[in-house]
Amino acid sequence: MKILIIEDEPELAQSIAEYLSGKSYLCEFASTFDQAQNKIHSYHYDCILLDIMLPGGNGLKLLEELSSMDKQDGVIIISARDALDDKIAGLQTGADDYLTKPFHLAELAARIYSVIRRKQFGNTNTIQHNELRIDLPAKTVSVRGRNIALTRKEFDLLIYFIGNKNRVISKSTLAEHLSGEFADMLDNHDFVYAHIKNLKKKLQDSGCASYLKTIYGTGYRWG
Amino acid sequence: MKKSLLHKTLLPITLYSLFVLSASVPAYYYLVDSIWLEELDEHNLSIAKQTENELNKLNLSDEELAGSILLWNKIQPGTNLKELPRHVPGPDSVYTVWKQDPYEEHKDIDRFRGLARHIMINDKPYELIIETNIEETEEIVLAISLVTLFFFLVLVAGFLLLNRKLSAQLWKPFRNTLDRLKSFNLSSQTSIAFEKTDILEFEELNDVLQKLIAKNISVYRLQKEFTENASHELQTPLAIIKNKLDLLLQKETLTDRQYQIIEEANKALTRLSRINKNLLLLAKIENHQFDNNESIPVSSLISQSLGQLKEHSDNKNLEVVFDPDAEATVNGNKTLCEILINNLLLNAIRHNNPNGIIRIKADQQGISVANSGSNALDSEAMFKRFANVSSTNAGSGLGLAIIRQICLRHGWNISYQFSDHFHIFRIRF
Repeated sequence: MKILIIEDEPELAQSIAEYLSGKSYLCEFASTFDQAQNKIHSYHYDCILLDIMLPGGNGLKLLEELSSMDKQDGVIIISARDALDDKIAGLQTGADDYLTKPFHLAELAARIYSVIRRKQFGNTNTIQHNELRIDLPAKTVSVRGRNIALTRKEFDLLIYFIGNKNRVISKSTLAEHLSGEFADMLDNHDFVYAHIKNLKKKLQDSGCASYLKTIYGTGYRWG
Repeated sequence: MKKSLLHKTLLPITLYSLFVLSASVPAYYYLVDSIWLEELDEHNLSIAKQTENELNKLNLSDEELAGSILLWNKIQPGTNLKELPRHVPGPDSVYTVWKQDPYEEHKDIDRFRGLARHIMINDKPYELIIETNIEETEEIVLAISLVTLFFFLVLVAGFLLLNRKLSAQLWKPFRNTLDRLKSFNLSSQTSIAFEKTDILEFEELNDVLQKLIAKNISVYRLQKEFTENASHELQTPLAIIKNKLDLLLQKETLTDRQYQIIEEANKALTRLSRINKNLLLLAKIENHQFDNNESIPVSSLISQSLGQLKEHSDNKNLEVVFDPDAEATVNGNKTLCEILINNLLLNAIRHNNPNGIIRIKADQQGISVANSGSNALDSEAMFKRFANVSSTNAGSGLGLAIIRQICLRHGWNISYQFSDHFHIFRIRF
């Protein structure tokens, strides 16, 4: 998958690329408005990460250009601006998702995964991971044809891990993912442990291989 | 009771015109009187001279003269011709005397203007006295006063009518300015365009107001940009650190202890990020950047928030009792209300004992959130920023400050009470 990272802060762009690197993702960079414009007009990407606050121009303009070019590239806005107005403006101009800095790279990866799958597979969006089959739009999971009943949070965690294959994700990162706004306000992250335990058990009970591993005591990895 | 400006000027002007017009009455009286007296003096003098001339011209003998004088004195009341024993040269004497006029019906005392003159008839000295009735003074005074009163009333009526007409007309530019000021909204960032007026003071007022507003708008914009830029600047290095930690986690050769350290660093970063966001939020609220209002269904917002937090309240095995009034609505900013409710409920969960209770009430008058607790909090300091931060309390210390600021902005009242081992927060709309 080709990813275009439009971000003027080099350390951030570098970190994203490093996290995403591997067999699945190929990353390109643009750090100014003009560079981004050139790249957009010349190439096609599976997903574009767009920072609104760009030197040389407003990122939203690029978004408008993308819409007018009728391109199918997925767009995720990454911005330090948290205001509701900015989010609404971004999504209305055609972005597929909006992520506020600072975010965990795992969160970004999960969103990229979702956006790409939605854009490319639409209604027949199923993930096949060996014996595991996930129907994304229907939100059902089956192992060798047999359905597993997962709660909404367990399903969400499953997709999150699939989108972050082979990456170590810490408990606090998962807590932030599950609680969003309130993550740090709550002292106890044990609820994360409970969800993971349940998910693991259900997968195991249905005969699925144990892809979800516990590392370092409270870290997790899929694959 | 406040009076309009033109009404306030009406009284002094009316009093002044009353005073001036009243003063004019005696002034006119004395003027008319003195002219009239002068005329009478001339009239008396001319009669005296004429009498002297004609009598001398007649060339009467002494007997005829005496007889004529007798006749004269009898038929000319108010005049008297008297022979003098010897020639007493002297000037004319002009005087005024009050006496009853014998020929008038009424018994009033009239005013007479007299002239006493020494004349020579047939070379003999005589004293001629002529007294003429000055017109009744009361009639003059009455006539002048009535006319003056009439003019005074015309003046006052005129003032009132003019007042009313001018009030609407003259003050129109001022009222225009007032209206535009009333409908001014700082956060809309549009300057006011005042109507041009040809009245010096109002034009000056408009000019000064325009400058003041322009300055206000630019200060507001600068502050807004500053707070947003500051927050943005802070979030970027935070994001970098967070992401570097994410990457560090991927290194294969980590020990358990190293992983823990990274975890702790990450938690601190999340907290720092939250403090930054909250400070920005506070600044925005204080800077009136949440000015939109709408009708908010209070109970459904609370239900929504409870749903999101259910997992966390369940973790502590808390019993949540919510008594909703489905009709309860309040006018306010939706975003801020959501934040308010979330903060209240989060606090109720965090500062609760395991197996505790949360009681929530919402109606048209307000909201109350009560949670079981152990020790009363310091109600004085609690709403200040960072008042309650401790190592056991992972919050940002700004939650209550934000709640308080949101209440302030809406004009709501918030109070805290600790009773029956319950922390109770009440918000009155």
